Order: sequence, then C-alpha cells, then structure tokens
Amino acid sequence: MAVAAIRTSKLSKDYGLGRGLFELDLEVAPQEVFGFLGPNGAGKSTTIRCLMGLIRPTAGSAQIFGLDCMHDSVAVKRKVGYVPGEMPQFGSLRGREVVAYLGGLRGGADPKVVRTLAERFNLDLSRRYREYSSGNKQKLGIVLAFMHRPQLLILDEPTIGLDPLNQQEFYDLLHEAGAGGATVFLSSHILSEVERTCDRVGIIRSGRLVRVAQLDELHRIRLHHVELEFAPESEVPEAAIRSAAGVEDVAVNDHVVTCVVKGTFEPLLKAIDGATVTNLMSHEPSLEEIFLTYYREGAPADQAIR
Amino acid sequence: MTTMVRLSLRLGRWGIIGFSAIAFINTLLQGVAFYRIAGTTPAERAKFGQSMSVLAQQFSVIIPPPIRLDTVGGYVQWRAFGFFAILFAIWALVSATGAARGDEERGIVEVVLATGLSRARMIGARLIAFALGSVVAALAASTGLLISVATGGESFSTLVAVEAAVPLAALAICCYGLALLISQFTSARSAIAVAGVVLLDLFLLNSLSRTFEGVARWNWLSPFHYYELSRPLPPGGEFDLGATIILLVVGVAAGALAALALTFRDLGSPLVRLPASSHPASYDVDTVPVLRIPIVRDLYIDRISLVLWSVGMSVLGMVMVVLTKTIVEPLLAIPALKPYFDAFLHGAVYPSFLGFIWLSVAQLLMAGFAIAQVGRWAAEDTDGRLDLILSNPISRARVILERAVVLTIEALIIAGISGVAVGLESHYQGIDLDRPHLIAATLLLVPFTLVFAAVGALLAARAPRATVGILGTFTFASYLLTQLGPIFKLPAWTLNASAFKLYGQPLAEGVDQTGFVIMTGIILAGFAASVIAAQRRDVRA
Repeated sequence: MAVAAIRTSKLSKDYGLGRGLFELDLEVAPQEVFGFLGPNGAGKSTTIRCLMGLIRPTAGSAQIFGLDCMHDSVAVKRKVGYVPGEMPQFGSLRGREVVAYLGGLRGGADPKVVRTLAERFNLDLSRRYREYSSGNKQKLGIVLAFMHRPQLLILDEPTIGLDPLNQQEFYDLLHEAGAGGATVFLSSHILSEVERTCDRVGIIRSGRLVRVAQLDELHRIRLHHVELEFAPESEVPEAAIRSAAGVEDVAVNDHVVTCVVKGTFEPLLKAIDGATVTNLMSHEPSLEEIFLTYYREGAPADQAIR
Repeated sequence: MTTMVRLSLRLGRWGIIGFSAIAFINTLLQGVAFYRIAGTTPAERAKFGQSMSVLAQQFSVIIPPPIRLDTVGGYVQWRAFGFFAILFAIWALVSATGAARGDEERGIVEVVLATGLSRARMIGARLIAFALGSVVAALAASTGLLISVATGGESFSTLVAVEAAVPLAALAICCYGLALLISQFTSARSAIAVAGVVLLDLFLLNSLSRTFEGVARWNWLSPFHYYELSRPLPPGGEFDLGATIILLVVGVAAGALAALALTFRDLGSPLVRLPASSHPASYDVDTVPVLRIPIVRDLYIDRISLVLWSVGMSVLGMVMVVLTKTIVEPLLAIPALKPYFDAFLHGAVYPSFLGFIWLSVAQLLMAGFAIAQVGRWAAEDTDGRLDLILSNPISRARVILERAVVLTIEALIIAGISGVAVGLESHYQGIDLDRPHLIAATLLLVPFTLVFAAVGALLAARAPRATVGILGTFTFASYLLTQLGPIFKLPAWTLNASAFKLYGQPLAEGVDQTGFVIMTGIILAGFAASVIAAQRRDVRA
C-alpha cells in the first residue's frame, strides 16, 4: 500500500477561546488533487502551517509521505511546493532576485521552468517586488511553489488577487501538475473553484472537519440564488417552478420570480420551458450560507446532508 | 479628526514613551551627577565650572558652548538639553517620514482616507499628535531635572524648567513639519534618507556657524539656531519667546505645505515624478551566482547598507582622530581637569582619549548596527518572509547560524575598514597608536557587536514584535551604566554587567581577557538559546 501524501491524526492547534484546529484526521492519497474548503477563520491556514512545520500542533501529528512534519521538516520540504496565504514583503529586491534567492535555498531553480511559468502568467521578473500589484505578488508565489516541480503542492488560497484569465491559467497549471503525478492540497473558500479543480474535498468549519466529500456530493450541495424575469405579455409558470425538484423559497413579484436552486438546474429549466424569459441571473451564495443550509453547527455531518 | 489624533497617538505611543523615558532619565542622572562631581562649596563649583567650560569649548562643533557650568541649571542645559536637540530631531525625522510615507506603504493612509477624512486633516492630526507627544517628552525632561535638584537639597523654579521644555518641543515640531514636507517630494523608500540629510545639513549649518563667520550669515535658516537662542536653565540665561514662536510657525507652515502637497500627489508616488523608462518584460531568473551561495547571498543583499556603514564609520573615525589632536593639546595644560580625566582615561593620553571618544562612538554605532540587523530578523518573522524561507529545505537552526555568520562578517568588514581609516589618519596626525592595540580594539568590536546580536537573536526567537524595543532599552541602559558608573562610583560588578564595560580600553590597555571571555560566553549562550527557542516557537506567533 502506497504511503499517503498527507496524513494527519487527531491534529490539533488550540489557540484558546475555541479558536484553532481540533482533532483533524485526514488522508490525502498520492497524485490526488484535494480541496480544503472552509470559510474565513475556519482553520485552513492553521492546518497548512502545521503541515509546513511552521507552527507546532498542541496535539496529534501530521505526516507528509510518511515523514513527520515537525521532526523531519527539512526532508518534507524537499518534496513540497508552497504558496502562503499572504505573500510577504521583499522590498527593493527584483522578482528575479527573489526567485534566485529562494531557489538558492533549495540548491538552485531551473531557469527554463521559471521562464515558462513567468511567461504563462506574464510576470515581469525584472521589476522590483515593492512595485508589484497584489496579483503579481501572488503570481510570484505560484512561480516559487511550482519552479522545482515538487511532489506535493500545498497551496493556501492561491488564486486570491488573480484576475479571471490568470485564475484559468492557474487551474490549467494545476491540472497539468496533477496529470504529471503531483499531489495537490488546495485550500479555498470558493466552492466553485474547488469543484472545478479537485478530486475530493475536505470541508472544515470552526476548526473541525465537517466532511470529506466526493465530487458528486459537491454537485449536490451546490446552491444558487436565481432571479428570473419573464416577458410582460407571457404567463409566469409559477406552479411548475414551485413544484420543481430542488427549487425552494419561490417568491413571485409581477413578472419577476426569485428562488433558491439546490443541486442541478435541470428541474427549473424544465419548469420554465416554453415561457419567454427576458433575464436570468444566478449567483453562488457565500460558503457560510451553504454551511448554514447543509451543515448545521453541532449536527452530525451524515444527518445534516440531505 | 479627534479620532485620527487618537489613532496617531496610538501609532506613536512607543516613541512617546521611549523618548519621554530617555529624556527623564537623562536629565535626572545628569542633575544627580552634577552634585557628585561639582563639589559642594561655591569655590569648588566655580573651579569645576571653569575647567568644564574649557572642555566644553572643544565640543562646540556638536553642542553649543555652555554658560554657568558651576550651576546645576547650566550643567544640565549643556549636558542634557544640548544633546536633546539631536535626539528630538531624530525622533521627529523617524516619526514624520513614518507617518508620511511608511504608513502609506503599509496601507494605513489608504484606509484612513477611505473613511472620508481629508488629506489635509489627516496631516493636521498627525502633526497635532506628534506635538502632544513631544510636549510630554520635553516635560519629562524638565521633571527629571526638578527631581535631581531636589535630591541635591536645592530648589529650582518649576517655571524655568518648563521654559526649557517649550523650545525643545517647538524644535521637535519644527523638524517634524519639515520632514513631513520633504517626504512629499521623495519616494517612500528614500524619504527618511533625504529628510535626514536635510536636517543634518541644517544642524551642521548652525554648528559650523559657531566657528566659521562665512557660515554664520546663514544660520538663520537653521531651526537649531532658534532652539539655542533659549537657554533658560542657567542663571543669566533666558527663554527666547520670539525664537520659539518662529520654530512653531515654521513647523506648522511646513505641515500645511505638506498637506497641500499631499492633496496634489498620488498615494505611493512623490509630488514630482519622473517618467519611468520603458523596458521589455523579462521572464528570466537572476543569473548572479552569489544569490545561490549560502552566506554570500545575504552579504550581497546587504551590500549597499554595508558600504554606507563602512564609509560612515570610517569618516566619523577620521573626524574623531582630528578632534582628538585639537582637543587634547589645550586640555593637557589644565591641571584641574586631571581628576575628571582620571575617571575615564587610563594609560597614554592620546590613545586613551581617542579610545574614549572614538571607540565609545564606534561601540554605540556597532550596537546600533546590531539592533538594525536584529530588527530585520524580527521583521522577517512577523511579515511572513520567514514562512517562505522555511518552506525550503532549510532548518531553523541553519537560519539562525547563517544570520550569525553573516553578521560576524559584516561587523568584521565595517570595523576593519573603519579601523584602517583611523590608523591611517592617526599616523597622518602624528598620533602614535600602538598597532597591535589598534588591531585588537578593531577586532574586539566584532564580539562586542555579536553580544547585542546574540541577545537580539534570543529576543527575536521569543518575542519578535518586542525585540527592537527591548534590545534598544538594554543597549541604552548598558551605555548609561558605563558613562555614569565612574561618576557615581558604582561597584565593579555593576559596571561589568555592561557590554560596553566588557569591551574595555583595548586601544590603551590591550584586550581585557575576562571581558573577552564573558562576551564569548554571552555570544555562544545567546545564539544556542535562540536556536532552541526558535525550534519551539510558532513562526509569526
């Protein structure tokens, strides 16, 4: 049996006042793309910082490829590429100097890989770090994490600050890394991002793992606020909408209908088939809202999910 | 605006507390020291005052010549309030550039302006907050004087003590306003350097005007000139209300102009911005090989500050050699000064005097260098750089040991270059320095610097956010102990607790073996303890 890429056992970091991470049991298989989903302050970064050996757990243990994250931290980091939750300051150093400096700590960075990554993200490495926008700093973080082709990528909300085009480029890069045999541990608070990139998802809230879900389960817990506007002369198919599976909280105001759609859109689209829809807006609710809907605090995960 | 003043006071609270404490302790100790060394009878004090006046004339390049050094008011005005002009100007410089550009880089200005506060009001609030802080610190100096006089069994007019505080606060406000204004025209990174050079020039303009008549015509341009017009503490001295008002008006006017400049410039940019030269984007990693070699890569990153420190120390060392020659010759002719010198100088007069004035300054500067480096280590921890460094296959112990080695090499370079400069200038001035002693004194600056670095490394591994403050206080206390210990005749073990004392008088007497062993012990213990502490600590905690 292959050694797990990441294994935590009762991993805890107690900051007091109920804050921190509590008894996290998690296993990520080699070559898996694992999403770590949770709202702000849920404990995602604390977990990642424990894995990186930057903070000491108050209880439990964490291993990467069978190596203890604290005691074997140097050996662990030979196998890991890391994007921190927040890029630090490097002042007047140029981007290329930051890459050379941090690459030097690894024994050297492959210039070809660096060039390819920088070109993909259109990151000018000749500029000084303090002149970089937050998006460019994030791009540099991605270059630093991927430049040595690590076996495991630990990425703490890596798309923050990236524009949609660069986000897409990052998703492609992630896909290529996964196809190339790398394991990915990606933290995020955006459901659609995890849904798009990951094989499996761990959902964390208030420092506790709520559930480890497969991709189809993620599709089931998908939730959208929808607003439909029908043409003035057409009839609103109110009864059909109200009876559609997964459609809830229906409210009709003249020719405008608002509702919540859980799971797939198919029943709703069937319900409005034949009506003239002039406008349709859908937006994903916050992760916290999804949690309130599906994972009530204190309720066992198996009961909470419908 | 009241909220902004409160926020500004909160942001600057450590500066206010620190400078108030320094001002209070300094006047208190100088006042108490006067009663210890000046004698008790009018005749003894007159003799002391006369002798000290001759000595003071030699330092008029830095501090204005004193009046009535036979009185506690005259002595404290000279020893404490003369020095405070420099100290408060530095405080104003650091605070103003930090408020004008540092907070802008940290994003605080953006957040504040987003609340709807106008730029002019924001600058006004910062100026008011600093003015309040400087008044508190200046009054702390007056309080220290009053208490010291009470310990001497004498009385002193509270009004006069307050009159001494007013021009000091006014000078600080003036320097603050000027630094605020200058900061609007520079890049964020160079604000402190440019404003510092301007204030230094204004200081030198006034200082040199005491010696050179040609310069004296221009001293009205310097705020330090107006500060020195008030000398209320000694009998016969006076408080110059007009000069104080000029300082306040200049400070407020400069602040108003800074506010005006801020309304016309983009945040993050100077008021006048040169067009940036366009260049094609580069996607290649830096090919400089030194960035891949441990130790060397950190020296390479520090190269500019290393050059500045080396050049600055060398120039200062050479100036001190010249001053030694100028000062010692006339002083040797005054028998009354012998007891005063005996407290500080040992062995041959010229090397002893040079050792006293140059190596004391060199020690302070090297301690300052150590604090600056330790401050950077602490910042690496708090701002997340250490996270990224440790995400590479490198242990925490190696990070600390590399820092220690880099600092050792840098201290060796700075001390070595300045030592060579002092040696060459001494030879040129005809001062016969013992070469092995000069080499020993120079090399001993390295372990001396490492003592502060080792203590700082331990602090940075335990409490990085408080490191600079605690280490700065430790350095100040250590220095004060050496300076005032002989006057107060403190027991030997107390003086040995000071790192400055452990350094000894190597230029005159050679290396103090015991001091060297103790310093080595502190260095080894400090860095070993910091390695252990770092292993147990959460990064960024």
